[in-house]
Amino acid sequence: MGKVFDPSLILEFIPTLLKYLGVTLEILAVSILFGVLIGIGAAIPKLFNIPVLKQLVTIYISFIRGTPIIIQLFLVYYGLPALLALIHIDITRMDAFFFVIITYSISNGAIFAEIFRGAINAVEFGQTEAAYSIGMTPFHNFTRIVFPQAIRVAFPNIANTVIGSLKDTSLAFTIGIMDMMGRGETLIASSAHALEVYIALSVIYYVVVLILEKGFRLFEKYTNRYQGTEASVA
Amino acid sequence: MGIDIPFIWVAFKEIAKAIPLTLMLAIVPIIFGFFIGLAVTLIREYRVKGLYSIANGYVSFFRGTPAIMHIMLIYFGIPLLLDRIFASLNISFQTSSIPIIVFVLFALSLTAGAYLAEIIRSGISSVAKGQMEAAHSIGMSTYQAMTRILFPQALAASIPNLTNISVGFLHLTSIAFLVSQKELTGTANIVASSNLKFLEAFIAAGIIYWGLSIIIEGISHLIEKRVREYSKGGVA
Repeated sequence: MGKVFDPSLILEFIPTLLKYLGVTLEILAVSILFGVLIGIGAAIPKLFNIPVLKQLVTIYISFIRGTPIIIQLFLVYYGLPALLALIHIDITRMDAFFFVIITYSISNGAIFAEIFRGAINAVEFGQTEAAYSIGMTPFHNFTRIVFPQAIRVAFPNIANTVIGSLKDTSLAFTIGIMDMMGRGETLIASSAHALEVYIALSVIYYVVVLILEKGFRLFEKYTNRYQGTEASVA
Repeated sequence: MGIDIPFIWVAFKEIAKAIPLTLMLAIVPIIFGFFIGLAVTLIREYRVKGLYSIANGYVSFFRGTPAIMHIMLIYFGIPLLLDRIFASLNISFQTSSIPIIVFVLFALSLTAGAYLAEIIRSGISSVAKGQMEAAHSIGMSTYQAMTRILFPQALAASIPNLTNISVGFLHLTSIAFLVSQKELTGTANIVASSNLKFLEAFIAAGIIYWGLSIIIEGISHLIEKRVREYSKGGVA
């Protein structure tokens, strides 16, 4: 603190911080992408009841849901080099960005796995039976019948996860990454106007979340486009 | 850089001492947040003039920004505000003498309030409208209908959400270490840096968080089973 509060500085800081919004969004986008892939991979053993793998996935999901993201960050940051040192791969000089991507992907993967599993189980089994009875292959059944219905159920949860993940990225700076929050920390160190920086950061995060929410709401309407007519017929 | 397995246990014992503080940082905001959430819900339900848009803005902003921002804004903002007020009143009170934990609790309470407001609202909207009408029709006042009919059912419906937020807040307390609180993560950090064994310390901290989360989920499962006893849905 120390210095007098100066509201005009907030407007001055916003453009500086906005330049680093790209890094934040990059972390978000990449980790969501990998998270979805991990999520699909982790949902399969539970959906098809594959022994051993199913138990492993359960432990993975339970651990991720049972520990704070900041602990996961530290575990990957300190643990991965130690783990890879055992097979003589040195990654201690790797950019912090990769550790952040790995952590958030693993973390999102567990959440997505649960969302996918729940959504697919929410589609009645009768739908699959009906698809088979008219001669669809399991692949067609999944892509044409189950998936379109499951995505409708899953979408609100996916949207919440993306927004939650965006907010979680604000902790990536703890392992020294230069995203928006990391840049904010250096601004505080150089200007000593902590409050103004945090207000500027809050405004940016809030606006991004509002835009995401708006976009998701439009898409949700799109995925529900057949629900409305069905209700009006009934 | 091997892993010192026995040190995990040493760190575990050291870090476990921070469990009470962590639980306090999680529970107090949820309790305060519950009352804030209740007030917000009443304001929104009855569309109180003036306060209505403030309540909506509050919920939207606090749900739309990371909790670390709330802690930092309160931590840096409130002393500034208080100093100005005290200076204009000529009271010589040093805001720097307020312990940091007060700001953390205040900030997290506001965060919890916003999330709980949404949970309470969805809980209340899950109770059928006819319940309220039925209560009125047998002569209950609105207050009686609320406390005896509406809230108990809304609370039962909110248990899964309340569990999520309890676990969420347990995890959220980990960011208090960024303002140098000695809760689980903060203690783990101290243990780690004083022994230069980072991985082991954070493994220990992770196990503690994991264990606490599992316990919370177990307790809520028991409560849910008991509450659902009287309100079974379906046809059986």
